[in-house]
Amino acid sequence: MPELRRDPEIGRWVIIDSDHTKTPSDFPKEDNTPTGQAVCPFCPGREYKTPHEVGSVRPGNSPANTPGWLVRTVPNKFPVLGCDGALRKESHGIYDQMTGIGAHEVLIESPDHDKTLTDLTKEEMQAVISQYQERFRQLSKDSRFKYVVIFKNFGSSAGATVEHSHSQIIALPMVPKTVLEELKGAEHYHQSYSRCVFCDMISQEYQDKERIVVENNSFLAFCPYAPRYAFETWIIPKGHSADFAGTDEATLAHLAQMLQDVLTKVKKVLGNPSYNYYLHTAPIGYGHSECYHWHIEIIPKLTRSVGFEWGTGLHIVPTFPQDAARYIREA
Amino acid sequence: MSQLRKDPIVGRWTIIATERARRPAAFVDPRSTISDKKKCPFCQDIASKGLYESHGVKVFNSGTPILNDSKPFEVRRNGLYDVAHSYGSHEVVVETPEHIANMADLPPGQISRVFETYALRMQTHRKNPFIEYVLAYKNYGVAAGSRNIGHSRSQIMAVPVLPMRVTDKTNGAEKYFDCHERCLFCDIVSQELKKKERVVVENEHFVVITPFAARFPFETWVLPKRHHCDFADGIKRYEDSLAAIMKDILLRFKIGLNDPAYNYMIQTSPLKKLAAFKDSYHWHIEVMPRLTRVAGFERGTGFYICPIPPEMTAAFLREVDIHA
Repeated sequence: MPELRRDPEIGRWVIIDSDHTKTPSDFPKEDNTPTGQAVCPFCPGREYKTPHEVGSVRPGNSPANTPGWLVRTVPNKFPVLGCDGALRKESHGIYDQMTGIGAHEVLIESPDHDKTLTDLTKEEMQAVISQYQERFRQLSKDSRFKYVVIFKNFGSSAGATVEHSHSQIIALPMVPKTVLEELKGAEHYHQSYSRCVFCDMISQEYQDKERIVVENNSFLAFCPYAPRYAFETWIIPKGHSADFAGTDEATLAHLAQMLQDVLTKVKKVLGNPSYNYYLHTAPIGYGHSECYHWHIEIIPKLTRSVGFEWGTGLHIVPTFPQDAARYIREA
Repeated sequence: MSQLRKDPIVGRWTIIATERARRPAAFVDPRSTISDKKKCPFCQDIASKGLYESHGVKVFNSGTPILNDSKPFEVRRNGLYDVAHSYGSHEVVVETPEHIANMADLPPGQISRVFETYALRMQTHRKNPFIEYVLAYKNYGVAAGSRNIGHSRSQIMAVPVLPMRVTDKTNGAEKYFDCHERCLFCDIVSQELKKKERVVVENEHFVVITPFAARFPFETWVLPKRHHCDFADGIKRYEDSLAAIMKDILLRFKIGLNDPAYNYMIQTSPLKKLAAFKDSYHWHIEVMPRLTRVAGFERGTGFYICPIPPEMTAAFLREVDIHA
């Protein structure tokens, strides 16, 4: 019998289509092995092909824009938002608009063209995560920005246009809608119960157990009760924490381990699928840190979202989260 | 310089990325539909009886239904979470007995009957006390989520909960009405008709625009000029006029963008709240060709990056010669 499920943080209903349930082998397999090294602008020795770097991890202290880096962040050559100029807001009759001020950066995760995140060593993965935080902190200082989104598109069906392993960072002059919805739901919940809805979710996940994928000292990975996508998986700090920027170094190392662990398992179960992940954290200067709880949402790209879903926001999910969690857990 | 634009209805911001703007021609879809009449289940099914049938339009229960109404609807608590078995119905509207793939190629009279059928099915489902919303929508082409059968059809889903985007829209419209005592959509229609830059085509009763804060390239909305919150009731006597303008816009897609995959969806007031939304809500149809992929940023933030300004897509669509 199909089920309708509602998440507690924003109140969105989803349909779990149990009559046509899909197991990992029911989704088409993709080959996301990198092949195009010859012309790749992100490979070492071609630093001149990108805009000047804004951040990097260079263990040998080599000069900027030369080889010798582990991780390198550069402005996107084709930014969706430009960072020069003042933020101007205006209205046209009933419509509101702003100048497209923002920052759009590319974080190259490894000098090695053939490596994806799951191939990195522990230290390399930690360098990626600490660079996330470094860029996040830097961009947060710009008073024009209200929010920084860190995200990754892996594989062409998840929207990656360059195959060399990379993430992206976009700083925005407003809080995006999905985050606002989470904040609103979490604040509302806190007003009623004086507790964080995400902390309550974590404790219920420990009680129910069936949706837990894996845990370590600082983080829990689980498949949410009312997911929007098949095999959607969240990584969340076990202790209450609203802001990713404040995470200490030891915890970041745990995050690196957890993220790599989950991605490796997802790859094993689903055969190197395209995926997206993104980090949801409190907006810059957020005043209600007791209400919100940062986390990473990982979404393997297995199904197409069709007319019905964009038109209604009602998602149809072909795999129960407890089944997805079991497959990933046992991988 | 790219722009950030806010949708006045749901308050969603869109990035209109003029820096990486593509010319309209860059979106032309190279694929076309393959179709084999002999394998078409809807041609084979011609004699079978549907739930409803009139003038060549047939409604069937979906062969792969996502919802069913075998048990009454009931929401249970599961600790923090809410759950219900998935009550509702899922129907397929076969729009023509002929093996024609694209609604754009149906005669206007036939399209008119399809909309009439949506309205009738909505009226039927409205009587069910458990049903909160009826969605009538179409997926055309593989990229839009349809199987490649080549026989024009659409779908109706009756659901026991209010979908998120519907409440987003009605909330936005109500807030606007509270401030201005006017319907937001009526204000959009009058502003667009004054400025014309985002108007694709209009007739006596309807106008087709590309919305100010479009999420997708070539996103278009079909808005009735006359205020009415409810599709099923508001469409009465205007079916032919709607059919004519729908055919017009679908032909513009087909000819101008080389038969792209597309979706449309009828946005109407929640069924049980017609009295509450009578003044503030305004039914309309969202139509979008599927030309770009939604990537991580959009999924994670609900913030869309539209690679071409809607004024440019409107101008492109206006200039498509549909009589060629």
